Amino acid sequence: MKKNLIWSWFWIILSLLYFFVPLILTFVFSLQTLKDQFSFISYQRVFEDRGFIRSLIFSTEIGIVTIFLSLALMIPTVYWVRLKAPRIRPVIEFISLLPFVIPAIVLVFGLIRVFSGGLLPLTNTHLGTNFLLVAAYVVIGFPYLYRSIDAGMGAIDVVTLTEAAQSLGANWFTIMFRVIIPNLRAAIFSATFLTLAIVMGEFTVATFLVGLKSFGPYLWQVNQNRAYEGSALVIVSFLITWAFMGLIVLVGRGAGASDAAGPR
Amino acid sequence: MAYLTLTDISKQFGETFAVQDFNLDVEKGEFVSFLGPSGCGKTTTLRMVAGFELPTGGQITINGADITNKAPNQRNVGMVFQAYALFPNMSVSQNIGFGLRIRKEPESAIKERVEEMIRLIHLEKHIDKYPYQLSGGQQQRVSLARALANRPQVLLLDEPLSALDAKIRVSLRSEIRAIQKTLGITAIFVTHDQEEALSISDRIVVMNEGRIEQVGTPFQIYNFPETQFVANFVGSLNTATAEIADPEQGLLHMDGVQLSTAEKLIGLQKGDKVRIAIRPERFSFASEQKKANVVDCTVENITFLGSVVRIHLLIGNTKFHMDTFNYPSLELPKIGDKTQVTCSLRAVMILGQA
Repeated sequence: MKKNLIWSWFWIILSLLYFFVPLILTFVFSLQTLKDQFSFISYQRVFEDRGFIRSLIFSTEIGIVTIFLSLALMIPTVYWVRLKAPRIRPVIEFISLLPFVIPAIVLVFGLIRVFSGGLLPLTNTHLGTNFLLVAAYVVIGFPYLYRSIDAGMGAIDVVTLTEAAQSLGANWFTIMFRVIIPNLRAAIFSATFLTLAIVMGEFTVATFLVGLKSFGPYLWQVNQNRAYEGSALVIVSFLITWAFMGLIVLVGRGAGASDAAGPR
Repeated sequence: MAYLTLTDISKQFGETFAVQDFNLDVEKGEFVSFLGPSGCGKTTTLRMVAGFELPTGGQITINGADITNKAPNQRNVGMVFQAYALFPNMSVSQNIGFGLRIRKEPESAIKERVEEMIRLIHLEKHIDKYPYQLSGGQQQRVSLARALANRPQVLLLDEPLSALDAKIRVSLRSEIRAIQKTLGITAIFVTHDQEEALSISDRIVVMNEGRIEQVGTPFQIYNFPETQFVANFVGSLNTATAEIADPEQGLLHMDGVQLSTAEKLIGLQKGDKVRIAIRPERFSFASEQKKANVVDCTVENITFLGSVVRIHLLIGNTKFHMDTFNYPSLELPKIGDKTQVTCSLRAVMILGQA
């Protein structure tokens, strides 16, 4: 028993070191812009750089549009599959795994090849390119979003709740917006923040479609040219991601109680 | 014309008939139970009344209006589910008022109706609670109130007590029946629990393999089963094969034991083999005055079932059960004792030819 406990602690401490040592060292390095003293100058420079704010805002906007489009596609689809076609769930699950199998570089070259000419020359305009970026992110975020929404629907027995609402006179619109979506709050928030975190850090697709306008390529460029600011930017992007994760946990806790449906 | 009618209803899933030739008339204010084993089609039939399944054939009417192909939200039929199906994001009052808000009734009318329903189910102290803060029994009462708040034409209850523990099940079924009587609402209750069906129904529809086996009052179903399935499914039953000795006198022979029935055995001839059935509680130990249906037997085992004692008997070569009320002064035979038991002529039921 005691031996097991020692080994447990050993692995916990090893994992924590593996995770935190590079992060702490990066943080320490980011404070060493001035010789022989610690300062936050690199952070000041990061925040003063217009490219940082511009790319952060651009990626956030793309992320928000991606989230809305993904949710608009995914919630009705997952709902309908659970309600009317539960047999095709394995097929949807398989499709949801495809973005893991197809590399982002293949996806972005495919998009550029198809949409740089022909009937839909989307890459000719900024709006078109941005739309392609969103479309690519919808595909990349599909596995996370699908799993989260599907698990959320599994937890509330959508079939019975739908039938209960129908027997009380509700139409599809009412059922969706007053019964199903409010009970998926935790799942939707977790899917939302995961998608946003992915969009903020994505590099490959963004580089080929919009370049430095996006946060991922901007982060890479800063790392290449300015070492201290690059480290500061890594810490900042970590903090942003953690803030999202923290929000997921908070919202999950808040909604967890009200998600407890079914017999007790 | 009956209030709710189901005429020639059938439901087919692929090659399989889940419900077949289902005909039933339910009067206004009547409480009818669908009773049968799992997969007998009782829930499918209920779901066709609710509109969640469309019949393959036949017609359903409520108060003269054909609702066969109407959408579930157009039927004004209330439904109570086994899993309660309360909306987790809504409080008790919001759940109960949900249907009224859909109908866009004035807020004051909704408040009044919700309070009325809350009083009906005695949950005044829980009006602002959420479903996860309530016990199973309380959740099911809220579910009932929610279904009733809309003043539905028919109330459908799909095994509403199955998820509850035994004590709450008994008290809630009485409560459901009392509320149904108070409101005079027509109700269909699906259950596989015969005691539940027998205790609260005006009439019971016993179903098997998608078909109706028998429709009758609890008394008729229990005492005069029309088919072997009903006889076996409802209550405990001793069954055996006997040979007709004298159809005119209603005499039978079973393993060398003579039994008599109350009526002539019409349509049967001497030597015909028939299945007979006797309920365990219809047996008693024979007194000297008793002459008819007195049979010798051996006591094989005795089991205490609380209020009832079950005595396992061997009559001829056939095993029978006898149930007798348990009371402190009860004198029981010992295992292995040879004794005599008796039953009335009416207790011997003929289920059909063997």
